[in-house]
Amino acid sequence: MTDQIKLPVEVRTEFGKGYARRARANGQVPAVIYGHGTDPIHILLPAQEASLALRHSNVLLNLDVEGAPQLVLTKDVQREPIRGFLMHVDLLVVRKGEKVSVDVNVHVEGEIAAGGLLEQELFTVSIEAEATHLPEYVTLNVEGKEVGDVMHASDLILPEGTELQIEGDAVAATVHAPRAETAASADEAAESATSGTAAEAKSAE
Amino acid sequence: MLIPRRVKYRKQHHPKRSGAAKGGTTVSFGEYGIQAETPAYVTNRQIEAARIAMTRHIKRGGKVWINIYPDRPLTKKPAETRMGSGKGSPEWWVANVKPGRVLFELSGVSEEVAREALRLAIHKLPLKARIVRREGGE
Repeated sequence: MTDQIKLPVEVRTEFGKGYARRARANGQVPAVIYGHGTDPIHILLPAQEASLALRHSNVLLNLDVEGAPQLVLTKDVQREPIRGFLMHVDLLVVRKGEKVSVDVNVHVEGEIAAGGLLEQELFTVSIEAEATHLPEYVTLNVEGKEVGDVMHASDLILPEGTELQIEGDAVAATVHAPRAETAASADEAAESATSGTAAEAKSAE
Repeated sequence: MLIPRRVKYRKQHHPKRSGAAKGGTTVSFGEYGIQAETPAYVTNRQIEAARIAMTRHIKRGGKVWINIYPDRPLTKKPAETRMGSGKGSPEWWVANVKPGRVLFELSGVSEEVAREALRLAIHKLPLKARIVRREGGE
């Protein structure tokens, strides 16, 4: 279950990429709070603390916005693609006891029977739960599953008070036989078929 | 080897190498991936070599995704030719890879095997790259 993380917040009045870049250089992250029909509030979060807090998904943040406590969930996180630091965060206002719909990660537990290959189809699943009691992940037990077995969304082990938001018959994972040993020979064939690229280019016209 | 089946124009300008990847920067299909750290033109031969290196290492089992496609032709003039007389003939098909792009993905094998397979694949590529895993993974 998620704990509340307190973060200091600074309300911002300036916008645009120039201001956002200056804020990031100063160790802050631009963010916006919205939801429940309220006007959006543009804020700055401390980059280091925010980065540590958002390492886990569906973290409940308790922000102090100009003296008023505000419970928020992360709606969207934009990261820099190469270095991975936070660029911008969208925060959604929630209330205690309110049920919210969020995506949580699916963790696979257990070992499948020897000779099979597990292919996970669902990596995240949409659930509805109380905002103050959101699970960090849901579990899929694959212990002893054999080739040909299919696990569905209904097989996910959900914590109490959590409801699945997708169809129960959605495929979560399958166990299938590994590829035949012909892969190596296919590789050889592919290698031998590497004739001149110019000729192939002509054929591509 | 990957090659477009039909193209509208045989010869193109060189693709831009500046900037970072706009999309395809996260592991979306498998569990582990190769993420580019520098820009590069990756040819179809290099993609194929990397794929073979990976599939040979993981032997049976595992699944490989190739997230890039070599759809840009590069031309070359023959050796010892005077300048002029038009653009050279198409020589390579390349994917224009920018930093941040996830090139290959892999799943269905242990972390140790996956990392070694991806390490072998990186050695076939003309760029600096790192191994990344799916966000929210264990």
